[in-house]
Amino acid sequence: MQHVANLNRREPQPEETAIEVSGLSHVYDGPDGGVPALQDINISVGAGRFVVIVGPSGCGKTSLLMMLAGLRQQSAGTITCYGKPIPDPDPKRVGVIFQEASLFPWLTSMENVEFPLSLRGDPKPEMRRRAEEMLTLVGLQGFGGRYPHELSGGMKQRVSIARGLVQDPPVLLMDEPFAALDEQTRMTMGHELLRIWNATRKTVVFITHSLTEAVYLADEVLVMSARPGRIVDRIPITLPRPRTYEMMATDVFGKLRDRIWQQIRQVP
Amino acid sequence: MWLWTPAFAGVTVRKSPAMTRTQIILTRFALLALVLGLWQVLPSSNVINPLLLPPLGDVLSMLGTLLGQPRVHEAIATTALEVLVAFVIAVPVGATIGVIIAESPYLTAVFKPILFYVFAVPKSIFLPLFILVFGIGFPQKVAYAAFTTGFVVLMSAMAAVESVKADHILVARSYGATRGQILTRIYIPSMMPILLETIRIAMIFNFTGVMIAEMYASRTGIGHLIAGWGENFQMQQLFAGVILLATTAILFNEIIRYFEARCSTWRT
Repeated sequence: MQHVANLNRREPQPEETAIEVSGLSHVYDGPDGGVPALQDINISVGAGRFVVIVGPSGCGKTSLLMMLAGLRQQSAGTITCYGKPIPDPDPKRVGVIFQEASLFPWLTSMENVEFPLSLRGDPKPEMRRRAEEMLTLVGLQGFGGRYPHELSGGMKQRVSIARGLVQDPPVLLMDEPFAALDEQTRMTMGHELLRIWNATRKTVVFITHSLTEAVYLADEVLVMSARPGRIVDRIPITLPRPRTYEMMATDVFGKLRDRIWQQIRQVP
Repeated sequence: MWLWTPAFAGVTVRKSPAMTRTQIILTRFALLALVLGLWQVLPSSNVINPLLLPPLGDVLSMLGTLLGQPRVHEAIATTALEVLVAFVIAVPVGATIGVIIAESPYLTAVFKPILFYVFAVPKSIFLPLFILVFGIGFPQKVAYAAFTTGFVVLMSAMAAVESVKADHILVARSYGATRGQILTRIYIPSMMPILLETIRIAMIFNFTGVMIAEMYASRTGIGHLIAGWGENFQMQQLFAGVILLATTAILFNEIIRYFEARCSTWRT
């Protein structure tokens, strides 16, 4: 954590709201008219909080995340990020980490991490310094010269996280980032993410299918229904931090996971 | 060149790589030596009529003689210029049209089947038409070769656009990439492996186009000389021409393949 000196460590201030979604609905154009995808979504994410969204496949989780990232426009309702709407992607406010690592195979790990900075035309030495810092933060010092195909799945996702953090946005959106990893790597990566989150104090919105992952990571779990996606439950996760693997075996953990499962199961 | 390229003919070496690799290379040299040896021995011992297949030694000395003749120099220069001009026209024009069509779902839907139909038609049947329009000089050779080559480039460019991953575009957009940046930083590197292969194959078609046009009706060029030697039963000259053309074509092919191999490290 000695390498995070250049990241804005934002101490969470309960009164500050990072993301505010109100009355958001979305309808897709379908061949037989509109397909309602999201319905009356209201979310408020405090700065520095770790919020996990779970829900059945096709419930519109990813669409919601794309809208938070400014990559897609909602049909109705408003989204604000630190008080301002986000009509277009704004890497200074929001970093996105995608499901598959989505690294560019023609660039090395280092160049992948530098990519967002290079779009702005930052000077080379500055980019290199930032990228090295980020690779160190995610535990990949010395791997900068490797191409993605020379890295394991977990390492690729680490590079992807480093790329998401390199512009130091206060908000990090993660769309099932560990879905493609095996169970063991996935656990390790979850733990690593919490370490990085703790070091950087980002506001995180994280989408997952895994209930265990949701409870393990989150301050709050939002449960979505099947299409059209609505928020059907908001579950505060009161487990103390730092979280440990041992907590997964406790009653409290099991009950929280059960509650999410009941919610997802009863929704048609 | 192919003699020491293990990738040739898609050979993948698994067991004891060093050993098998040496064996393969040695076998290739042995085969080449055998063919060349037979080419020398069979005609000179009259097993094959030397009037039909002159011995290799005679052909090579004829090649030396021909390469010293001004009219052969002139023919080489003409053919080289035709090939070059046709190539310089066909590749950018074909690539641009291919990219424009592939980028528009509407144009793709309209043109793709039509292009496949036309692609199936042997282009040489249009040669008389080209002669009527362009005469039998330089423009006809260039126009015909560019026509056949442009088609191949167009089809490959469409495939190249389809090889660009939507995920990569989304990542770039999320980091605020402009349209121009998406083109230069995502499209071009994504398409590079297919584009290089296209250039290689385009040159094969291009060379073939010029040769056919020259052999069909012409007053100059290597194709014209070869056609004439064939008609006059000058087999030494004919085979010398074949060796010259084959060597040139293989050389160009291998140069592009060298660059392709460098890209293949990240080709997925």
